[in-house]
Amino acid sequence: MLRAAWPILLLFALWEAAVVGLAIDPFYLPSIRVVAAALQAQAPFYLDAYLVTLSEAALGFAMGGLVGVASALLFTRLPAVKDMVLPIFIVSQTVPVIAFGAIVVLWFGNTLMAKAAIAFYLTFFPVTINTLAGMAAVDPRQVALLRSFGAGQWVVIRKLLLPAALPRIFTALRLSASLALAGAIVGEWFGATRGVGAMLLAAMFNEQIVSLWASILVAAAVGGTLFAAVALVERAMVSWREEL
Amino acid sequence: MNAGVVLRGLLGAALLIGGWELSVWALALPQWILPPPSGILATTWTVRAALLPAAAMTAYQALSGYAIGAVLGVALAMLLALAAPLRAMLLPMVVAVNSVPVAAYAPLALLWFGTGALSKIIMVAFIVGFTVFLNALDGLTRVDPAAVSLLRSFGAGRLRVLWVLRLPSAMPAIATGMRISTVRAMIVTLVTEMLGSQLGLGWTIFQAVLMIDFLQVWAAILVASVISLVFFGVVSAIERRVVFWR
Repeated sequence: MLRAAWPILLLFALWEAAVVGLAIDPFYLPSIRVVAAALQAQAPFYLDAYLVTLSEAALGFAMGGLVGVASALLFTRLPAVKDMVLPIFIVSQTVPVIAFGAIVVLWFGNTLMAKAAIAFYLTFFPVTINTLAGMAAVDPRQVALLRSFGAGQWVVIRKLLLPAALPRIFTALRLSASLALAGAIVGEWFGATRGVGAMLLAAMFNEQIVSLWASILVAAAVGGTLFAAVALVERAMVSWREEL
Repeated sequence: MNAGVVLRGLLGAALLIGGWELSVWALALPQWILPPPSGILATTWTVRAALLPAAAMTAYQALSGYAIGAVLGVALAMLLALAAPLRAMLLPMVVAVNSVPVAAYAPLALLWFGTGALSKIIMVAFIVGFTVFLNALDGLTRVDPAAVSLLRSFGAGRLRVLWVLRLPSAMPAIATGMRISTVRAMIVTLVTEMLGSQLGLGWTIFQAVLMIDFLQVWAAILVASVISLVFFGVVSAIERRVVFWR
């Protein structure tokens, strides 16, 4: 906990030192004390934005992670389908799919579902691809060995392929955590009234630099929460893996 | 990759586009739910006069930001590879700054640098710089310590070690960072354009959403995707040439 906190504290200290020492124009960088005071003065608003954006991003992220792993498992049982679908998935990683967020908002309106759907597909594709890649990297001789002991396909997946793919799954989850959050924030730009994205937009239009920085810190807090959740799940999974 | 896999991939793409086209006609889906691929292509052609300058602007911003960011990222990584104590102090802070989503910094860039091309170029350079920097630093510092000691024992200075050993062995990592950055450069350009600009595909998308012009949204996404694919393809091809030993 403390180890994770010190770079942030150091960053804040550098920030404050730069503002005071270099006499930076508050239009560019207001003092961290001023930003903290703004956060405190309007705590209910920022807390609401935090919770709204967190629930959008977390819902889509969790669904995307689960469905991503599940569809990767399905694909290992249906290699023909995998060969047909995987190239499309990989191409989807080289185009700016976040732009589809505009269409998703058109479909679902300004609802929690719309942002969760954006976070969902931004998570789903990388998790599926990385789960498949992780399972494909397993030594075929290990699979053959398990099969020779009479293990069925499901047992091979559960006992060997899935545990072996875990590191890559978590790499993908860490990457998609920030993607899911970015998706939720961008989704809020299309007319939402609550959430970090909406607050960022309002602060920009009103040129309120202090509340803009406060909103950036709230966005960082949402991201930190998602990362911490992934780290917690990873720790739980890794200990289970060591028992294996 | 064997021919069968390629064939299945093509079949998958054909099934997706064909199924999409057919289901739109069969279910008589309204355009706001899903326009058919043929309709998107037709719209892209009819509004090409408006899309072309927007696409050129987006490509210009993404490319110039990408070039600046890549150079700065590699340079900064080389600097920090030479200075271990500075690296230990700065790296966690860099990671902390990097963990805030781009979308949160974009409004700041617009306030500081206006709605012109500059704010997008700086945002792209910032993100690409971070990505290339983190990858390059990882490659530069992950060399065999025995090889470093050997070179040092022959009287090679830090700079010489960087040039003959660290940089060549970091090439694959740098190339990976630059390949990932192509997509990020496009995403950041589009996202920042959506917030405010005078010209660009992201701006086209945002305006089209406000005017509920669904076909134009799809057309702009199509053009942006093509630019992104070409960009990614060119950088991957260069990567295969440069890092041929991989």
